[in-house]
Amino acid sequence: MAFLHDLLGFVINTDLLAEYGWRLWAGLVMTAKVVSVSVCLGFLLAWPVSLARMSQHLVVSRLASGYIAMFRGTPLLCQLYLIYYGGGEFRPFFNEMGIWWFFRDAYYCCILAFTLNTAAYQAEILRGAIQSVPKGQVEAARALGMHWTAIMRHVVIPQALLVAIRPLGNELISVIKASALAAIVTLLDLMGQTRFVFARTFDFSVYLYCALIYLALTETTRRLVQAVEHRLSRHIRADAPQKVTATRPVARMVTGSTAHSSPGTP
Amino acid sequence: MFRRVVLGLVAALAVTPVMAKEWKTVRIAFDATYPPFESVNPKGEIVGWEVDYATELCKRMKITCTFQNQDWDGIIPSLVANKFDVIMSSMNITEKRKALVSFSQVYFSTPPVFIGPTGAPADVSPAALKGKTIGTQSSTTFANYLEAMYKDSEIKLYPGGDEPQNDLKAGRLDYTLTDLIVGSNFVEKVGAGCCKVVAEIKRVPEYFGPGVGAAMRKEDTDLMAMWNKAIDEVDADGTFKKIADNYFKINVRGK
Amino acid sequence: MSWYALLFGPDGWIGLLLRGAVVTVALSVTTVPFGFGAGLVLALMKMSQSRVVRGFCNAYTTFFRGIPDLLALFIVYFGLQALLDRTSKLLGMSGHLEVSAFTAGVIALSVVVAAYSSEVWIASLAAVPKGQKEAAQSLGLSRGQVFRLVILPQLGRVALPGLGNIWMVLQKDTALISTLAVTDLLRAASEASRATTRPLVFYTAAACLYLCFTIVSGVVQSALERRANRGYA
Repeated sequence: MAFLHDLLGFVINTDLLAEYGWRLWAGLVMTAKVVSVSVCLGFLLAWPVSLARMSQHLVVSRLASGYIAMFRGTPLLCQLYLIYYGGGEFRPFFNEMGIWWFFRDAYYCCILAFTLNTAAYQAEILRGAIQSVPKGQVEAARALGMHWTAIMRHVVIPQALLVAIRPLGNELISVIKASALAAIVTLLDLMGQTRFVFARTFDFSVYLYCALIYLALTETTRRLVQAVEHRLSRHIRADAPQKVTATRPVARMVTGSTAHSSPGTP
Repeated sequence: MFRRVVLGLVAALAVTPVMAKEWKTVRIAFDATYPPFESVNPKGEIVGWEVDYATELCKRMKITCTFQNQDWDGIIPSLVANKFDVIMSSMNITEKRKALVSFSQVYFSTPPVFIGPTGAPADVSPAALKGKTIGTQSSTTFANYLEAMYKDSEIKLYPGGDEPQNDLKAGRLDYTLTDLIVGSNFVEKVGAGCCKVVAEIKRVPEYFGPGVGAAMRKEDTDLMAMWNKAIDEVDADGTFKKIADNYFKINVRGK
Repeated sequence: MSWYALLFGPDGWIGLLLRGAVVTVALSVTTVPFGFGAGLVLALMKMSQSRVVRGFCNAYTTFFRGIPDLLALFIVYFGLQALLDRTSKLLGMSGHLEVSAFTAGVIALSVVVAAYSSEVWIASLAAVPKGQKEAAQSLGLSRGQVFRLVILPQLGRVALPGLGNIWMVLQKDTALISTLAVTDLLRAASEASRATTRPLVFYTAAACLYLCFTIVSGVVQSALERRANRGYA
């Protein structure tokens, strides 16, 4: 019994929150900033990369594939180290170009690394989504004389985006989780503040509070994405509501069909 | 039959007395990011002055010592959780740490210094460093000192002991606060041309304590006694000075 | 010093990097049976009749899929240490229960991989036609035999793509272990770059090695999928 009590005491501690709670909040704000900026920029970057990947020109297509393979095939931590520490080695060069201020700051380095990484994943998601639109639609649109940009804008992209919502939502959750790596390059996001508090207090419960906050973040995001997808796909979902209210058994037997009929509809 | 075996085992475990531990093998932990005290060589071995000193102490105590690399942030919790037995990693003796672990006698004591770029002025008062970025290792006495005294400067904390100096060289920091020996070693070997030791500061006792000691779990009093005895022995016959002269030009003993 | 000298010269660090690469591969490979196996057990438990068991498994999966892998590794690593320490005190052992950093890393990774792979296993279990299980049971096979001889072989084929994705994630997650004092490839690169202050060389070398692992994994996975799918349209 004492063993359990001791273990539990190791795990929960409320004085900690009173003293260091503000740090966790500051960390959460920083995490939200880093994640939102990276995901948005990544989304913008993913479009040209994805289109390049699907292009007919061999060089362009290969370049895009290479970029995607590199950023999906190596750990994000390695990419972050390369940009942050590797960037330091290029300081004279950057100074000359006048962009050293960017690589000097851990915040910008993190954003760059996360953006490049998520753009690669999002490009693959977009490619899958665009290729899932039936080719017949594109051919029909072309037969109608629509220009390529009009086809993309009116036919392909609306349908592709609908397919892409769920994987993109998963990618957003992935970035929220991956952002914890920023702590390793001195950025004081949620994970960084947690490590700081642990180093001060040696109290394990701070890690659990941090976990609960991340859990709240990811669960909220997941449910939001689910709700958005649910709403936007209401016209094609299998269990979409039909225009029927009560179907009287007699009417069914008489007409002999399972077609819906209701007093009000024509 | 099976039940009897289980009962027998339980009985044996229950009556096994907690004997005073026979220290034959001792595991020592270092945060090997602190040259010349401890660092990793290309072969992956932990080397440095503290490693040599620990080897000598173990020879006197006639025990086998193994060395482990451990991140600084988790070094005290890992000691308490029995991942190793001794920390000999330039750990300053402070009241807060004494609440968790016990320390041997001081075996060296050196002042902290600010490292900065070559043209930096010698004034390192909190007013002079207002708005500047100062880096140091997290969970250290240096970090506590900076947090308390340099409230107007931006403090950046790094997981490793050599990282602040590397980032200073890369131009991300204006100053770093570190140990005199570590800082001079950096300026000599790696930071040549970019950086210099700007100023030494006093070892304010409430932040830095009396000096560096070996940390052990509170219950391992016999190991502590062995360690203190060995430290005295190595002092007495001049071996301490011999090992120290291999690495340092100044007297670090602190006594 | 030139890149070549830093890596391959007499004081070159390539030995440390390659040893780190071996540790990375060893970590991933060792985690596979434990992580995927635990995931399968978790998936089977989620289909149990008891609401408590299902609730526990769902909570476990939600927790470890919802928090950053880095945090999960920290929690399991430090929590494991505390648990072992208190258990050995409870048992009155004068020695101590100890796990190496490598083992702790494998345990931490397995815990995370089990949570991810349980979802893949559930989808795969649903994909095996129910009729197979019913036919096997009507032939008089015990429940264990049904699972081992009939379901499991078919499960592998369906689960392979999903598990392949998790394998890729696992390989990159081993890099996170570098923050916990296991000298894997990324930590070796960190140590080398800190000692020489030439991070670009070593992190590029590490990235190239990781790319090699990814390419080899991709080839092996395609081969495995082709073999598993032989006989199917």
